[in-house]
Amino acid sequence: MSDERGPAEATAAFDAFHLPGLDTEAVKEWAVSAHAGALLRHPVLDAAALSSVIRHIRRARAEHLDGLPVKAITRALAQAAGRVVDPADAIGRIARALLPSITGYSKPMVELVLDRLAADWNEKALRGLVEAEFPGATFEPFAGDRPGPRTVRAVGPHFAFHIFSGNVPGVGVTSIMRSLLVRAATLGKTSGREPLLAALFARALASVDAPLADCLAVTHWAGGDARLENEAMSEADVIVVYGAAPTVRSVRSRAPVTARIVEHGPRISIGMVGANALINEAASAAAATAAAWAVSVFDQQGCVSPHVVWVEGDATAARRFAEQVAEAMAAVQVVLPRGRVGVEEAAAIREARTTAEFRAIGGEDAAVFEGEGTTWTVIYDAAADFEASCLNRTIRVKPIAELEEVPALIEPFRGYIQSAALEGVGSRLAGLADRLADAGVTRITGFRQMPWPPPAWHHDGSGPLRELVRWVDLES
Amino acid sequence: MTGTIEIPHSIRDALRAVFGRPIGSPLDDSAFDRLALAIFAWQFEHNTPYAAYCSRRGRTPAAVTHWTQIPAVPTAAFREAALIAGDPAAAAAVFRTSGTTGGPERRGTHYIGDTSLYHESLLPNFAAMLLPDGAAPVMISLVPRPAEVPDSSLSHMVETVIARFGAPASTWVASVVSGIDDARLNRALHEACERDEAVCLLGTSFAFIHWLDVLRATGRRYALPPGSRIMDTGGFKGRSREVDADAMREEYAFRLGIDTVHGVNEYGMTEMCSQFYDSTLRDHAAGLKRSRHKVIPPWVRTRLVDADTLEPVTQGERGLLQHFDLANAGSVCAIQTEDVGEAIEGGFRVIGRAAGAQPRGCSMAMDDLLEALAGNRP
Repeated sequence: MSDERGPAEATAAFDAFHLPGLDTEAVKEWAVSAHAGALLRHPVLDAAALSSVIRHIRRARAEHLDGLPVKAITRALAQAAGRVVDPADAIGRIARALLPSITGYSKPMVELVLDRLAADWNEKALRGLVEAEFPGATFEPFAGDRPGPRTVRAVGPHFAFHIFSGNVPGVGVTSIMRSLLVRAATLGKTSGREPLLAALFARALASVDAPLADCLAVTHWAGGDARLENEAMSEADVIVVYGAAPTVRSVRSRAPVTARIVEHGPRISIGMVGANALINEAASAAAATAAAWAVSVFDQQGCVSPHVVWVEGDATAARRFAEQVAEAMAAVQVVLPRGRVGVEEAAAIREARTTAEFRAIGGEDAAVFEGEGTTWTVIYDAAADFEASCLNRTIRVKPIAELEEVPALIEPFRGYIQSAALEGVGSRLAGLADRLADAGVTRITGFRQMPWPPPAWHHDGSGPLRELVRWVDLES
Repeated sequence: MTGTIEIPHSIRDALRAVFGRPIGSPLDDSAFDRLALAIFAWQFEHNTPYAAYCSRRGRTPAAVTHWTQIPAVPTAAFREAALIAGDPAAAAAVFRTSGTTGGPERRGTHYIGDTSLYHESLLPNFAAMLLPDGAAPVMISLVPRPAEVPDSSLSHMVETVIARFGAPASTWVASVVSGIDDARLNRALHEACERDEAVCLLGTSFAFIHWLDVLRATGRRYALPPGSRIMDTGGFKGRSREVDADAMREEYAFRLGIDTVHGVNEYGMTEMCSQFYDSTLRDHAAGLKRSRHKVIPPWVRTRLVDADTLEPVTQGERGLLQHFDLANAGSVCAIQTEDVGEAIEGGFRVIGRAAGAQPRGCSMAMDDLLEALAGNRP
């Protein structure tokens, strides 16, 4: 991606922002970013301009969103999201046309991700999320029309500032929806790697519920811009940050003490295949196919993407499973091609392959299975210890005598390991889940569901709406 | 296999002839190809892990018809395998990469069977690029002595160069334990100034950064005698501080009185016997005005390849540097680096290092992982 600045009329770039209250006629300077052919445009804001946008959305929240019934919010959000994911809609068409260039993901990947998001972003799912998070109308005012005495209620922030990362499209939109569901005026700073989808969502929201969209601002600036970020943070009750450790650390050090920081820092995931999944060739092939999909979706860049798969049994079983995963990876590559990778990423994949291959040449029990170029890599390695992947579809398959040994192997990475996909563990599931939970894992699932956590999941261990609110006790 | 396996005389003699060629007059492709294929056939016979690597790709001497088909070994392989013809235990020298991550067992190792052949390649290259005017300056090394770091190829190279070209007052001013001995360095520079003898400072860019910090903090400047020069190495590999090579050379001019033409960056690696030097000093001596580039010695071919496919990039594009170094006859000639470069007139330019970059997104970077491990290890 490259940035260049110039007068607005010199470009035919797409406006990837939604800034209520900003007089775009008065914007003097625009930033245009080029993403493999797609041009996106953002106004270059100063702190005063951002401050006036924040004032505008806060006022809109007080006037419109504060008393808005949940039903009205979920309906508008679902309608707006529906436009974004609908391939026949004008906004949905833009998403599908530009996201491959912007993110580097292949077209089929972008389509798959948008199709799956459609399932999460419907009205029923959003209502379910609110119900799950705030049972018994605890999100309603004490003086509301729900019957019965109430002693506790949740109150949303007046203003929430979100900083998005770009690795998985849709995460930003989900974050915005959560924020508006708890009736917060919301500012989303998009990532330079994916500055589009959140802006499209805001635009769609403006088309279905203009007053609600007036409570939402979305734009991009270079991450770390102290003037803008300090302005936004100083106003925020809640700061939601997605990103790598330096980003999270930087926000933590600059946030006002009164702000709550919701962190979605670096996380990775693992897979575990039990003996029951290996009883015959067909069963293990099915598990291997599911594992290959879990690795391939988001080109392994999601926090939900597995880095290592442990296979229960001896080395032969793990090696055979690695071969089956390799066959499945090749098949996935045909229907869901891996996206573009940079020089650094390709070099990292080559390095991982070389290391494993020369381990094998040197007599270690290891093997490399690989696709054309760097498209996919399966490394079988008899050394059981955890190794983080260099991503972009590079998975290690390792034997382990008993899956019960895995929690001890991941314990040193406590706080980093998010999801564990378990296959073929039968009645040992609950026991293994407890051990994994103890080792810091926050989600235990299967390979098939692994890339698609349900809307109400406890994302990185917290309630997706509860982590945004304050609880207020009413003592009689 | 026991003992080192000697490179056959026919190859050895042919190599000596190439090492004797003036820098800037490369072998023609057919002569390079003949020698490269002969060396490959010999390496395939005696370098067991490399032969296995090539056989897995179907690239045996019988199948390979041009040097460009000879499999390049990624530098990472030197961490895993003893890539030498013969018994590594019998190597004349063992060089290891500095390897800041992953612990000592993860350091790349280059076994040198025959140091005399190595010296015969490095000396004429150094002379042509650092001493094109035939100077014999006082050499001051900011690299620790080989006695202290016997596995450093850089120390070995500097010692070889000082022994051959250095004026009698040449000296070593740094050690692993105490770093740069500033008093000693200061004295050596003052003495050179008093005697009006040109100096040649040798060290890593990293060492020079720290020394420049000291000079800045103490407000010291030198006006080193005319003809003084500096060879720094590395610098593009991001360490604790990014090094801006141009800014460094401005500092050399301001603090030392060594103009930018006399600032020569060396690009070398433990896994390769040959080095690449900036063109500036040699071009200056020849009265040429060309932009700074790394010069490829006659016994090396350097190609730029696509990181994803490892196929040569289209002309003008950036790519990973892949070197074919005939001076590596004792180990592996074809080396795939993780350094990004671009071709420019006369040679190439190193842009940066691809390895060690953080994967994008919120997934975990290797640095974080190592941090996690360090913090949790008992």
